[in-house]
Amino acid sequence: MSLAHINIFLAFTVSLMGLLMYRSHLMSSLLCLEGMMLSLFVMATMVVLNTHFTLASMMPIILLVFAACEAALGLSLLVMVSNTYGVDHVQNLNLLQC
Amino acid sequence: MNMFSSLMLASLSVLTLPIMSSILNTHKNSTYPHHVKNIISYAFITSLIPTMMFIHSGQETIISNWHWMTIQTLKLSLSFKLDYFSMIFVPVALFVTWSIMEFSLWYMHSDPYITRFFKYLLTFLITMMILVTANNLFQLFIGWEGVGIMSFLLIGWWYGRTDANTAALQAILYNRIGDIGFIMAMAWFLFNTNTWDLQQIFMLDPNLTNLPLLGLLLAATGKSAQFGLHPWLPSAMEGPTPVSALLHSSTMVVAGVFLLIRFHPLMENNKTIQSLTLCLGAITTLFTAICALTQNDIKKIIAFSTSSQLGLMIVTIGINQPYLAFLHICTHAFFKAMLFMCSGSIIHSLNDEQDIRKMGGLFNAMPFTTTSLIIGSLALTGMPFLTGFYSKDLIIETANTSYTNAWALLMTLIATSLTAVYSTRIIFFALLGQPRFLPLTTINENNPFLINSIKRLLIGSIFAGFFISNNIYPTTIPEMTMPIYMKLTALTVTILGFTLALELSLITHNLKPEHPTNMFKFSNLLGYYPTIMHRLPPLANLSMSQKSASLLLDSIWLENILPKSISQFQMKTSILISTQKGQIKLYFLSFLITLTLSMLLFNLHE
Repeated sequence: MSLAHINIFLAFTVSLMGLLMYRSHLMSSLLCLEGMMLSLFVMATMVVLNTHFTLASMMPIILLVFAACEAALGLSLLVMVSNTYGVDHVQNLNLLQC
Repeated sequence: MNMFSSLMLASLSVLTLPIMSSILNTHKNSTYPHHVKNIISYAFITSLIPTMMFIHSGQETIISNWHWMTIQTLKLSLSFKLDYFSMIFVPVALFVTWSIMEFSLWYMHSDPYITRFFKYLLTFLITMMILVTANNLFQLFIGWEGVGIMSFLLIGWWYGRTDANTAALQAILYNRIGDIGFIMAMAWFLFNTNTWDLQQIFMLDPNLTNLPLLGLLLAATGKSAQFGLHPWLPSAMEGPTPVSALLHSSTMVVAGVFLLIRFHPLMENNKTIQSLTLCLGAITTLFTAICALTQNDIKKIIAFSTSSQLGLMIVTIGINQPYLAFLHICTHAFFKAMLFMCSGSIIHSLNDEQDIRKMGGLFNAMPFTTTSLIIGSLALTGMPFLTGFYSKDLIIETANTSYTNAWALLMTLIATSLTAVYSTRIIFFALLGQPRFLPLTTINENNPFLINSIKRLLIGSIFAGFFISNNIYPTTIPEMTMPIYMKLTALTVTILGFTLALELSLITHNLKPEHPTNMFKFSNLLGYYPTIMHRLPPLANLSMSQKSASLLLDSIWLENILPKSISQFQMKTSILISTQKGQIKLYFLSFLITLTLSMLLFNLHE
């Protein structure tokens, strides 16, 4: 692959690692989720434009729309957690233990 | 064909007239009590005629009126048995009730519900008459329960007082325990002799009569306050004095003895039951006489005296002398009712003071009451040729000369001397010495109602024994010959009791007060019987039933054994074993590791 592709791919991987490994705030996880979405968008746009695959040029925009919805969902969950506990420390989400 | 049955039925039915008049509301006017008293005196005079006919000719009648129902082979009808026992008891009871009604015209004069009081007393008398004239057990049971209910209503007459309500309830409960025995006897008779009629039972003469006679003995124990079911009688003194005089001395408490007397053809064949009766009566008469020695309430002493005399009647039945017991019932009614009426006169005069430690010196202040109290006490202790002598002395003589349990005999003799002791105690504390009541007194015994009623019973106490025992036909032959020391036993122990009591009472003038001994406490607290039996068995019963019902059955068997134990066990073990802690970080971390591993595997796999 070309360097640009590798660059974007690396951005995606870094965001993925940031999503899965975080310390205490749920907010950082959601931010990394946005980062992942951003890198995916850029990657998709680049590929579509470089290969002149015009029929698929809707795909990044629709991806963006759905990502916005999911971001809203994630934020509402964050607000719920913050309502209950005051902070969004992830160690509070421990109801599913036995 | 003579007027025997008609006159007797007339005499019994005029008693129901004042009750019926309450339908017409004539019972609201103020002369109703006088009507009731007059009706009872008419009934008494009317009933004298059939009694005299009976004494003259020995004619016994059974009146069988109205066939109520037939249940398969059992025929229930209204039948009256007018034999020796009922013919003599009815005039005696009516005479005593007449005097008591007249007395309560004075005693309950200021009570606003005096008409209701007289109606209750009259209802009681009617049920008592039903009891004594019953020919079948069903009618007897009706009378039995009736006197129990009226006793409850009358003991709790002043229902604002907690002690009165407790005493009334106590009377009902103890009588109920006796009723169990009665119903057991009725059931046995129904099964084995197919009837509740006395004639058929006596004719069939069943062999193994232990069970029904035990039941009847239990019924007599409950109703006549024998040992074991006795605490209700002293507690029943919470009722007004006419109630104590009528119910708990002459009439209701003798119902148990009367029941046993009615069944004497069955009892004379059963030696076991006779021994049981004898021992029960002996225990009762001694125990209650001991309890009477240290009581301080004048009505309670007389109540214990009643209980002791009832024990003596039961002893008489135990030595197979039902007719003597019946004679003692009749004579005892006279002087015991009079003793209660004298105590009522004293109580009212001293402004409702019942404690003998606060009486004294009434010998000069109330001469008529003093006279009747002393004569009543002498009759009670069996002074020769007064009323009590004819029955009590005969009983002691017969007991001495019969083949009987020596321990029971000894108890009875000791109780006889104790009778003299507590009678002397009453006389000494209430009448003699210097007054111990407040100086501002309302001593007045000048009311004609009071004086006439006590006078009538006084004449009865002196002459009735002679009169009755000379006019009844001979039934069982009394023992005619015995050594002189046996003949004089009753007299000796009584005089012994008198002198001992007088000496002990005179000592109380001089010595300083001291702490009560154990024996004194035993006697004063009624032998600790009510204290123990009213607290321990109910507590044990209730706590045991609570533990077995809610703890054992509900908690342990239904809840804990399977459901809760399984759930707890599972929870503990799963917490012990599992590694999941619900932390999201760990889940994400494991996802990342899985992802990395799978990518490495795919890339390095050639």
